[in-house]
Amino acid sequence: MRRADATEEPAAFERRVYRNAAAHHYMKIGLVLESGERNIGAVQFKQLIVSAVRDLYGEVGGAFNFDVLCYDESALTAVLRVYNSGLVKLWSALTLLGSYKNKLCAVRVMQVSPFLLALSGNSRELDLD
Amino acid sequence: MALFMDLNVSFSEDKTVLKNIIETAAHLGYSTVAINYTLEFHHKKQEIPKPRPVLDLFEKLPVVQGKSKSITVLNRLTVVATDPSHFRPTAEYKAFDLVAVIPKTEKLFQAACMNFDVNIICVAMSEKLGFFIKRAPVNVAIERGVFFEISYTPAIRDSTLRRYTISNALSLTEICKGKNVIVSSGAEKAIELRGPYDIANLGIVFGLSTEDAKDAVSTNCRSVCLHGKTRSTAFGIIHTMKKSQPANKTEEEDEEEEEEGGPPRKIIKLEK
Amino acid sequence: MRAELTSVREVQLPEREISLRHPRVPTLFQLQGKEGGRVFLSVFLSFCLSFCPCLSCVVCSSPQVSVLIPECAVLPATVAGLMDSFGPYYRVRDLPVYKLLEENFLENVLKRGNFYALSYKTRIDEDNTVAFLPTGQLILSVDKDTYERLGLEGKPSQYNHRQVMRYVVTVDVTEKSMAPGSKRYQRVLASLTERVPMKCDFLFSRHKNAAAAAEDGALKALLSQFKYDTHKPILKTHTLKDMLHPSLKSSDLRGDGPLFSPHHFLEWLGAVNLDITCSDPVDSFLSIYNCPEPHTPMSQGMLCTLTGLLLPEDLHSLLQELRNYFDEPKFSSWLAMTVHGFVDSPVAWGTTEHGFLKGGENFYTIVVLNNQDYWLHMATGSHDGCPP
Repeated sequence: MRRADATEEPAAFERRVYRNAAAHHYMKIGLVLESGERNIGAVQFKQLIVSAVRDLYGEVGGAFNFDVLCYDESALTAVLRVYNSGLVKLWSALTLLGSYKNKLCAVRVMQVSPFLLALSGNSRELDLD
Repeated sequence: MALFMDLNVSFSEDKTVLKNIIETAAHLGYSTVAINYTLEFHHKKQEIPKPRPVLDLFEKLPVVQGKSKSITVLNRLTVVATDPSHFRPTAEYKAFDLVAVIPKTEKLFQAACMNFDVNIICVAMSEKLGFFIKRAPVNVAIERGVFFEISYTPAIRDSTLRRYTISNALSLTEICKGKNVIVSSGAEKAIELRGPYDIANLGIVFGLSTEDAKDAVSTNCRSVCLHGKTRSTAFGIIHTMKKSQPANKTEEEDEEEEEEGGPPRKIIKLEK
Repeated sequence: MRAELTSVREVQLPEREISLRHPRVPTLFQLQGKEGGRVFLSVFLSFCLSFCPCLSCVVCSSPQVSVLIPECAVLPATVAGLMDSFGPYYRVRDLPVYKLLEENFLENVLKRGNFYALSYKTRIDEDNTVAFLPTGQLILSVDKDTYERLGLEGKPSQYNHRQVMRYVVTVDVTEKSMAPGSKRYQRVLASLTERVPMKCDFLFSRHKNAAAAAEDGALKALLSQFKYDTHKPILKTHTLKDMLHPSLKSSDLRGDGPLFSPHHFLEWLGAVNLDITCSDPVDSFLSIYNCPEPHTPMSQGMLCTLTGLLLPEDLHSLLQELRNYFDEPKFSSWLAMTVHGFVDSPVAWGTTEHGFLKGGENFYTIVVLNNQDYWLHMATGSHDGCPP
């Protein structure tokens, strides 16, 4: 195979393969509230997600850590970072989150990727209209 | 690997609500939605609803997000059956693109799997399943190309319903091993809809594999739609129409569909 | 996804076999240039060139490139000028695919090898997707229904699940059998006109070397028949102020690499692109993200992104220009260029098939150090081939 040949070439370069080695997944999400309310702070936002995870998976299943890397209060969008093992749990908890303070809400997941860089260059967002 | 579909959004008399749901579905990336009319038997002679033309709602159907095509809207009838007499495939059924049944008892579930002329068997999600799902009837249904449906909106509405949904879904996927399952919303409001990739992930919680879960909102739904078309044909082979339209093409598609529904054995039967 | 992860652990493969054609899981490939030196980098590029028909080694064309230069206040004029000179691209609406294969266009544009086309607003995991590579291949990634009606020979996609739902048809227009008038040519044309009149929006771009009049004429003639608009890549620059950046020395590359893993480095780069700041060490409730160690503060930095249909040739010349940046002594020891590929492209990394499971990410980051050593990262999603 090409790769094997490449490494055998006179000490030119070295190739390493990290297969499924990323520790985290990153999610770009947006919160939609039926009431159109906008004043949710970053801490409240994280609390909302933490409680959604705990509701679905309980104390033990919900005890994984995730980070809110950035949060835009005006648009209610955020970028989350979560360990791979928690991704399915976090994602499904976000999917099944249906209300905030007794008002209907929904979380729209815009992109999920094991690379944070991929979130900054999504060609599906290339809008030419 | 096929278009994303949500084959169950609830019909609403309120036009703005229904319109809103369809617009949101298009925005989330669904290429096809089916408006669901439920038929429940409260008294003996229940009238079968008639599907409303979609053009009443929209002059121009909304464009699917990220594409240049507009959304397709189908009609579906769901019969809630508590008694075998409730399911009577009459001419009225033919007005719908898809027919589904919610069997309430084990006997009816078996009957639905074995010989009801339906496209979708819904496993009730908003209540505790009163019976065990058995492998034999499920296998027959899979062979016949009938699909099982999991709706996720009850799980969004309330934590008790969520428990039922997940446990019922798990007992279903355990038996059918991820085959012939579709996941749809059953949404009554636009905000209850979720995106197709979210549902593909939710499918994992319901006991499907990553790829099976994605099939449950795409490939499997396509098979359901094709199966729906065969109800108006004889054995999925011959289809008569009043006008002679591109007849060749329809025949081909229908035949091919039969093959898809079931495993290879079915094909051999057909070829005989 | 948990299931997916465990199954991967079971099939952990030895290093050599990792060069399987398809990673099946998100994978990162890292190439470290150890010898340094200008000569070597071009060797590397030509090495890629020999395996990838699409020049500088990646994705046939890219929607975005971003360049990060630490300790730099204004974009160097040469780089800015080069970025400005990147050619325009066209967005054509409702173009029937067979139009690409009409004799005039085929002879005057396709066969010249400067032309790129990619269907726009089509999703690789749902729709029929079409791409034309400058090597002369027309690639149709189509669903089962279309394939069966199309009547052209193709291969089942590698990313099918239980049923084969997607096929890939490759038509090489440079082959003799595809000469206009030949049997096969007629057959392909008939398939695309009568059997399946495939139509979609397209992005066109053409590399402008020694612009042949006939080529221009044929392209204009085609465009004039349809609704189209011309776009220029959009440049956005952003000055970063007072932040930490990982310190990277060329000596790091010689041993086991720097102390932080490439994933950490890419995470940091992604964070910079998304304008994410390192978290407050006192309040760790929201996030515990931090800049990889060892890091040094930088007073300013330059981040610029260029979005649009970008051609490998242009990106190659951009890379050359960026390497010249270190001709004069600079404060920073490195700069980074990231190129994202189209997530819905039917091919990536040359001509390997590309798919979309939960994300279709395919991008590469090249870190150029001040002594011309480099560090190249190529990242793929689950449904993607191995980069060259």
